[in-house]
Amino acid sequence: MRKAFAESLLQAAEADPRVIFLTADLGYGTFDVFQAKFGSRYVNVGVAEAQLVCAAAGLALEGWRPVIYSIASFATGRPFEQIRVSLGYPGLPVVVVGAGGGYTYASSGVTHHSGEDLGLMSLVPNMTVVAPGDPHEITQLLPQLLKLKGPSYLRIGKYGEPAYQAEAKVILGHGRVLREGQEVALVCTGQIASTVVQAVDSLKAEGITPAVYQFHTVQPLDLSLLDSISERVHTIVVVEEHLPVGGLSAAVSAWRALRENGPRMVRLGPPHALVLGNPTVNEMRQRMGIDSAAISETCRRLCRSGNVRAPKGAAVSAIAT
Amino acid sequence: MFAAAHRLNRLLAIVDNNGLQAVGRNDALMGYTSLEEKFRAFGWAARTINGNSMSEIVAALSEVPFASDRPSAIIARTRAGFGVDFMEDQILWHYRTPSPEELQRALSKLGQTPLHKQPSHA
Repeated sequence: MRKAFAESLLQAAEADPRVIFLTADLGYGTFDVFQAKFGSRYVNVGVAEAQLVCAAAGLALEGWRPVIYSIASFATGRPFEQIRVSLGYPGLPVVVVGAGGGYTYASSGVTHHSGEDLGLMSLVPNMTVVAPGDPHEITQLLPQLLKLKGPSYLRIGKYGEPAYQAEAKVILGHGRVLREGQEVALVCTGQIASTVVQAVDSLKAEGITPAVYQFHTVQPLDLSLLDSISERVHTIVVVEEHLPVGGLSAAVSAWRALRENGPRMVRLGPPHALVLGNPTVNEMRQRMGIDSAAISETCRRLCRSGNVRAPKGAAVSAIAT
Repeated sequence: MFAAAHRLNRLLAIVDNNGLQAVGRNDALMGYTSLEEKFRAFGWAARTINGNSMSEIVAALSEVPFASDRPSAIIARTRAGFGVDFMEDQILWHYRTPSPEELQRALSKLGQTPLHKQPSHA
């Protein structure tokens, strides 16, 4: 996905001379073509995230369209105050890119894990928070983010996530259907979408057909799509590569809690804990219950259990797997 | 470091160096240090002036940039509340609002009239 981002960035810079790229000394090899082509619009501020944000704020005030880049945990955590005060408060058009969102950098340890970035960025009012799931979504979303008057956060993965063939348009602020289905709707954001789609596609052979919806835009969340989904399914399963606080499941829970009635909710994702012990990404996802096998098993349980629509006032439940 | 490395000679930093922090004095809390030396160590062209002297301020500003290949820094040594003897160099006045009587005393020390009492003020 980093490659898709680098290519989208290149196209954006070609289309708009105001686009300028700043990195906090990360992205080795990824932006060589960009740097060769747009040397003066590539700035490495060093491992200095506060400076990254403040320099971008200054540039934005001068009419530039900065895109700033670091690893997700560093891009959002260290300069949180600068993002809040220098981007959010004045409402400046800066795209903050966090690479390796979720647990992409599993083997680098807790410092590089990013189970909080979507939550942190959603805490800033007026911040648009986006987590695309495949290369196609990045190429569609970056230009839309660059048209915003205010700041945005773009969480990208690292590895080559496969494109999931889906026809629905990618529109900022709107969820998109990846797979039509019945009874159960899987709702996700970010790169875990491709695992969800993989699981659901493999269930077709068993006659199990849950729907899949990708909410690439976590803030503002497409509540009207959630409302329309809730007319058609008895259970929503939120799958996220993020802590239970501040991310997609928290936002969907808030929506659900304010409704008088609606579908039962299930969450698949990490517990509220740091991940120790140096597991690989695949081991992590297995432990967290967000690998393809766990997702499939959850769907089997929910679709075959003969669940009827939850009674009014049913509380949100989280199933630990 | 970034500013010096990129030879940003149109950048000027002015430090209002009154020696006070919110809960104590700089030197007592953070140890004596020369800000001018620190800026110079990071590759800036730095000077120290009396920040309460308009003529020194004007003179220094007229010589900016101090060097053609690096950013400039002016360490302006000041006394907080300069000119009002009962307020000068005291952390307390970061927090206290003067009473009407204190305000009058301060204004008379400075030889000033408040804006809203000046005849020409709209």
